[in-house]
Amino acid sequence: MSHDRARTDGLVPALELRGISKRYGPVVACDAVDLTVQRGEVHGLLGENGAGKSTLMKVLMGLVHADAGEVHRDGRRVEIDTPLQAAEHGLGMVHQHFSLIEPLTVWENVALGEPGRIDKDAVCADVEAVGKRYGLVVDPTRTVERLSAGERQRVELIKALRRDPRVLILDEPTSVLTIAESAALFDVLRTAVAAEGRGVILISHKLAEITAATDVVSVLRRGRLAFSCRTADTSAPELARQMVGRDVSLHAEGAALGLVVTDDPAKHLSPVLAGGLDAVPAEPPAPQVSADVQGTAALALHGLCVTGPDGRVLLDSLDLEVATGEIVALYGVEGNGQATLGDLLSGLLEPDAGTVRVDGTDVVLDRPGALHEAGVGVIPEDRHRSGVVLDMSVAENLVMTDLRRYSGRLLMRRAQVRAQAQELIERFAIRTPSIDAPLRTLSGGNQQRVVLARELSAGPTVLVAAQPTHGLDVGAIEDMYARLREAAASGVAVLLISTELEEVMALASRIAVISSGRITGVLDVAEASPQRLGMLVGGEAA
Amino acid sequence: MTGPAPVRRPLASYVVGSTGLRRPSADAWRTAGITVGCVALAMALAALLVTISDGSPSEVVDALYTGSIADAAGWSQTFVNAAPLLLVALGACIANRAGVFNIGQEGQLLIGAMVGCFVALRLQGPAWLVITVALVAAAAGGGAWSGISAAMYYTRGVNVVVTTLLLTFVAAQVVQFAVLSPSLLQEQGMGNGPARPQSDAVPEFLRLASFGQYPDLTIGVGAILAVVATVVLAVLLGRSRWGFRLSMLGLNPLAARHAGIRASRLGGSALVLSGAFAGLAGGVILMGTVFRLQPAISNNFGWDGLLVALVARSRPGLALPVAVLFGGLRAGSSYLASTGVPSYLVDVIQALLVLAFVVPPVLSALWGRRIRNRGAVPESPARPSAAAPAKEEVPV
Repeated sequence: MSHDRARTDGLVPALELRGISKRYGPVVACDAVDLTVQRGEVHGLLGENGAGKSTLMKVLMGLVHADAGEVHRDGRRVEIDTPLQAAEHGLGMVHQHFSLIEPLTVWENVALGEPGRIDKDAVCADVEAVGKRYGLVVDPTRTVERLSAGERQRVELIKALRRDPRVLILDEPTSVLTIAESAALFDVLRTAVAAEGRGVILISHKLAEITAATDVVSVLRRGRLAFSCRTADTSAPELARQMVGRDVSLHAEGAALGLVVTDDPAKHLSPVLAGGLDAVPAEPPAPQVSADVQGTAALALHGLCVTGPDGRVLLDSLDLEVATGEIVALYGVEGNGQATLGDLLSGLLEPDAGTVRVDGTDVVLDRPGALHEAGVGVIPEDRHRSGVVLDMSVAENLVMTDLRRYSGRLLMRRAQVRAQAQELIERFAIRTPSIDAPLRTLSGGNQQRVVLARELSAGPTVLVAAQPTHGLDVGAIEDMYARLREAAASGVAVLLISTELEEVMALASRIAVISSGRITGVLDVAEASPQRLGMLVGGEAA
Repeated sequence: MTGPAPVRRPLASYVVGSTGLRRPSADAWRTAGITVGCVALAMALAALLVTISDGSPSEVVDALYTGSIADAAGWSQTFVNAAPLLLVALGACIANRAGVFNIGQEGQLLIGAMVGCFVALRLQGPAWLVITVALVAAAAGGGAWSGISAAMYYTRGVNVVVTTLLLTFVAAQVVQFAVLSPSLLQEQGMGNGPARPQSDAVPEFLRLASFGQYPDLTIGVGAILAVVATVVLAVLLGRSRWGFRLSMLGLNPLAARHAGIRASRLGGSALVLSGAFAGLAGGVILMGTVFRLQPAISNNFGWDGLLVALVARSRPGLALPVAVLFGGLRAGSSYLASTGVPSYLVDVIQALLVLAFVVPPVLSALWGRRIRNRGAVPESPARPSAAAPAKEEVPV
């Protein structure tokens, strides 16, 4: 104990991890990691996917047992074997993927998992009180499935904060939020930390967030603590280098790290959150083909209308054209019809009205697979939902949309399937134990490459990429960007559906903004400023 | 997530069946171990029951053995019982692959037997032709019966499990009606006494041949048919484009749709085909062993055949040995009944043994998942159990 105090100048840290190690078979997920979080401090934890961040937090939350190491809370050693014990020791976590139950109301979700009798009025009052204290306004009687991503995030936060955690862990909290929502979230964090002396661990792989919102930052690389210092004493490029383990070209790959380069040379790197409003594209895209789009549109959507099962208008006579060799981004806040459009272009649903033209020919939309045959490749937003079959092999997943090409009258031509799979695995650098491994065993980035490889191998006229980098780590994001640019350069019309401003700015030559199922404006990237986009996103003409 | 994600498959995929990928052998060993334990437990329970009811456990075991695999006659009986089980199971494999869970084989089998009986008794012509037409008609009858469920599902979204199950009871009523209506299938009274609720016997020359003579091993046409169908289906499911598409549909319907598969056509035809196999099993029972349409002709072959497919995890190649095992149990149980052990006791013993073979794979899957969850990170983002209990998928 005494030597603890000596080391931290008399301050007892809210949370201290010492020498946490965890192995999975031959793989070392965490290798003697030390981490100290002081009261009233936001501690950023950076690292690529697989760096050990999640394992470390799972150890903290009692979801995984460490092979070695100790956890200290307020200077006392604690054993955390179950999530309930973690809660007792004042640790609260907001997970990257929402763990809310959609058909239940807000207050029911907040009360879920608590022992004892449930008092609806008390919980509702709590939700409102916590909401008022932190500015997280949400109606406790609403059903979660009717909430936007940002509102769900608020519910998760309320749920965690209501239990009054001394240390709050946030795992990639902004991955589904808009810039404004992210900014609001970090305001809340500031309040919770500064005024109430809580400790916060913020996990992210967005550098901009980390530099803007944390006091101290630690970087994990391959299970080891690679770097740790006060945020004020480091810079985004330094952090990027520590995270990836090599120098990162900020122009080409900056967007992958959530950075936007500004005009001002003094502020060479300006985090979106701090200086986002005067940001310009990280890289002006080369091909500017918008002038003669009309005549040569490879993909032309006209008057698409889709009504949801509950009568809600999901797409409202949407028009959009993408020319050969062009990357057009469809930008907007999540839940404004992007998912519906993605499903429509994947052939999963039929519009009530409107047409899809590919290379000037109307596609018959009520026939499954017609869009694929017409030359529309799709990287779906949720690859597990419609992009892949997890329990089939990598090879099978690579050929499944063009079975006729790989089969005789009756039987599959196995040799041909294997040859094709082998070739695609090499061409797209898919890391897999074997071509027969179930797709389930691959990492997210490699699963995404399987989808990309399959869709591009069919020689598409149009490639629709919906949130193609969602959940991928920096390396995989860089790779995806390069592949999309390459596809466009080779004459594929690319429609990028994204909610990430940096991504849109980095890749697209034109940006179409979607709001409530309509296109509210189309801007050339040169004339697109965050303000104008922001107005369009809000549904106003710019 | 960190490290090589342990392979965690949804339990449903154990029913839907895998696509030729091999599961870790640890699972196989665990399943084998659990099976041995379960069989021992079932035997112990059975012995206890027999002792309580003043019987001798050793005689029961002896009877079960003698009736099923002790000699050629026993094996013959085993195969006679295994053939319809296998046919039903093959149909279930097809439906399960496509992700549509047909559990109404008992009814489809009854309808198949009824339609086959109608053809066999009414159609005139050379024996080979009548037999073929009767078997085809039996399959068509079973297929049409499950086709009703398919139509309801793909036009109105009515749950397949519910309709196939309920149609089984309708089928039983239909058959009952047929054998009670003299104008339909009730036997022509012999003059003395009222006509019983059953059809006339299928004439000798229309009965399915069998090769071999008692007490040597005899193999019926039905068994040969079932084995041939197994081989064909194993190749088709494992190697053909059709099998590939079925698996895709079963494992991820949305991805299948993206790949150009129309679920109503492929899934609907799979459901019809599974009913057809059950109907064919009905035809084989009628023309191979029972010869008369009786309301009890299905004799749980439909239910047990479904169990065979579940135990075999929808793999035709595995269904063959499992069907022989279940056939042996049935043969042994019939022999046991003939030794004077009360029939209810025979039923209980048979049920215990069937359970002992059905439960282990599921138990093993659950257990394996628990072991992995305890020691390792689940491959999906972990949810704290306190906040949201992990959803467990339960087969069917």
